[in-house]
Amino acid sequence: MSFDPSARKKKKVDCGKLCPEWECRQPGEFEGIWVIGEIEDGQIHEASLQMLTPARNIAEKLQTWIEGVLIGGDKEALEKAAKEVIYHGADKVRIIYHPDLKVYSADQYALVLSEEAKRVKPEVIFVAATLRGREFGPYIANTLRAGITADCTNFDVDMKTGDVVMIRPPFGAIMLAHIKTPTRRPQMGTARPNVFPIPERDESRTGEITWIELESIPQRRAFLEEVTIIPQTELPIEKADYLVSGGRGVATKELWSLLEELAKEMGAVVAGSRKAVDMGFIPHEKQVGQTGKTVKPKLYIAVGISGAAQHTFGIREAGIVVAINKDPEAPIFKASDYGIVGDAKEVLPLLIEEIKKLK
Amino acid sequence: MKIVLGIKWVPNTQAVRFDPKTGTLIREGVPSIVNPHDLDATEFALQLKDKFGGRITAVSMAPPAAIMGLQHVIGMGVDDGILASDRAFAGADTLATSYVLAKVIEKIGGVDLVVFGQETIDSSTAHIGAQVASWLKLPYVYYVEKLVNYDEKKKEIAFLRKLEDREEVYRIKLPAVISVAMHSQKPRPVRMSYKIMAKLENPIQIWTNKEMGLDPRCIGLKGSPTIVGGITWTPEVPRKKEVFQGDPKEAVKWLIDKLKEEGVIPF
Ligand SMILES: Cc1cc2nc3c(=O)[nH]c(=O)nc-3n(C[C@H](O)[C@H](O)[C@H](O)COP(=O)(O)OP(=O)(O)OC[C@H]3O[C@@H](n4cnc5c(N)ncnc54)[C@H](O)[C@@H]3O)c2cc1C
Ligand SMILES: Cc1cc2nc3c(=O)[nH]c(=O)nc-3n(C[C@H](O)[C@H](O)[C@H](O)COP(=O)(O)OP(=O)(O)OC[C@H]3O[C@@H](n4cnc5c(N)ncnc54)[C@H](O)[C@@H]3O)c2cc1C
Repeated sequence: MSFDPSARKKKKVDCGKLCPEWECRQPGEFEGIWVIGEIEDGQIHEASLQMLTPARNIAEKLQTWIEGVLIGGDKEALEKAAKEVIYHGADKVRIIYHPDLKVYSADQYALVLSEEAKRVKPEVIFVAATLRGREFGPYIANTLRAGITADCTNFDVDMKTGDVVMIRPPFGAIMLAHIKTPTRRPQMGTARPNVFPIPERDESRTGEITWIELESIPQRRAFLEEVTIIPQTELPIEKADYLVSGGRGVATKELWSLLEELAKEMGAVVAGSRKAVDMGFIPHEKQVGQTGKTVKPKLYIAVGISGAAQHTFGIREAGIVVAINKDPEAPIFKASDYGIVGDAKEVLPLLIEEIKKLK
Repeated sequence: MKIVLGIKWVPNTQAVRFDPKTGTLIREGVPSIVNPHDLDATEFALQLKDKFGGRITAVSMAPPAAIMGLQHVIGMGVDDGILASDRAFAGADTLATSYVLAKVIEKIGGVDLVVFGQETIDSSTAHIGAQVASWLKLPYVYYVEKLVNYDEKKKEIAFLRKLEDREEVYRIKLPAVISVAMHSQKPRPVRMSYKIMAKLENPIQIWTNKEMGLDPRCIGLKGSPTIVGGITWTPEVPRKKEVFQGDPKEAVKWLIDKLKEEGVIPF
């Protein structure tokens, strides 16, 4: 079917049917895709750049533009971030500036961004679901009385209506819910870091940068008083090339220390399933899966992990997947390249020994 | 300090059995529980009350069975509960859910702090805290782990939160909304004496939309801008699926050879 992108401009809603606490807006008046860029320590966050990947896909389908949107109080950092956003695929960038916006504050940032969105009327807003994105993203959506779909793994366009389809794994990652907001604009969606790749960087790309210098901003009510950087002794799991991951099958002191020894011998980072997190063997930031992280190591070794869809969702981008599990029926074997049916208690010491020999 | 605590009544996904043949979850007959991460929020609120006194009201929007959830947190030490329950609230997305919760909080009145869990174990959007804050036009801090200090005179409270590579201390003006990081507390057990008292004193009220008087266009399905348009299957990732079953020594040798072939030995 051929799609006429301008047809969506005629979309009208009946204001009388809307909740009176929602400002009535005609969807046809909205155009363009916003990607909100989070700046951390003066740098554009990688997760925000990743959102340019689905944004490009949607922009092509709707035949519209991508506008990166930055907010802050440090002109130099904003300018630098704006360039990066353009190099990675945005058509233009909007910078919302006020000297008192130097430090992030969720509700204040959200209120400023919401006001700008009401004025500019983008039809889509994408936010990376970083910890801060999960804080200010739904705040913006609600202030706009817009729909927002969390943790999407894909986006598409309904070619009949021009509505964006937000695709997210519901209860049981094996099924995907297709969520739309047909009568409300902007349409908002978030995705977790590393679900999408960062688009290629091209320094020859250019784009218009619009500075919005605000005269006044809403009062700040949450003040960042202190920041302590925790020195990282290890790569975060989403950056590691080698991961050894444990589940409930190795959730005993003895077996877990074998798992750690294997990782140490291989120079790998330890990750785990949600059960391993719930049982206190690893922190949540090392959880792989739908409600943890998407990882892309060259090699992923899953030990004592059954292979629930919510877990294997996080390793769909992994290179080689190895499973060690004592149950030959465990679904993890269907989601891995090489599997050993065996007890971790026996297999891990042998594997450690063999690895030592290789060094 | 007057605290409202939000709890959700969810199917116990831990008790959900996993069908290895189809790879899906079997939901039938699964009992419901208080969202486990909301017990971290409950513990956090109780500690504030232990230190500074005051009152905690637990609030849930859910079908009538969720009264058991409210009884559970009252058993932990929460003072009373309000269950917002009406067929008209059903089918709500997060905008419409947060609307009802915000209206309940407004109706309670004089609330200093609203405490939520980090996210639920069933749909885990982590939207509700931010959205309630937006409806009430209050500041919001997500991922709170610890109290740093409370200045009763200035009506300011400071919290520590831990992001991946840093700890941040936020000072916020009350009233405010926070979400407590999951696994950050050790929720206290339920005390039978509290539960019995709860039954005798009947501290749980049920508010239907008769009590709330909300415009039907703002609640339930009508108040929800998002709609679920369909369900598809996750595409399967192609994997080699080679499995070795037998002597563990042989198995490990077999695996090492495979990894060498693939060029994924780290050295
Ligand atoms: C598979 C699936 C996917 C969904 N996706 C979306 C989506 O992307 N966007 C959307 O708008 N809606 C979505 N919904 C609807 C959403 O689940 C409901 O609106 C739900 O009532 C609240 O969302 P949550 O469970 O994600 O809560 P979260 O936002 O994860 O909850 C955070 C905290 O808020 C509190 N809380 C949550 N619900 C209640 C409650 N009913 N009463 C009291 N306190 C509460 C708890 O303290 C909880 O820890 C989805 C529903 C399903 C079944
Ligand atoms: C909404 C939702 C989101 C979720 N998100 C995630 C997520 O992000 N990540 C995640 O991991 N899970 C997630 N889960 C949970 C998921 O459904 C599973 O419950 C979980 O992944 C199981 O963890 P496990 O494999 O460690 O434990 P189990 O399923 O209990 O499996 C343990 C395995 O160990 C094997 N075993 C036992 N002993 C040994 C031994 N000595 N040697 C070798 N093998 C042994 C067993 O055969 C079994 O296969 C989510 C669930 C829901 C409902």
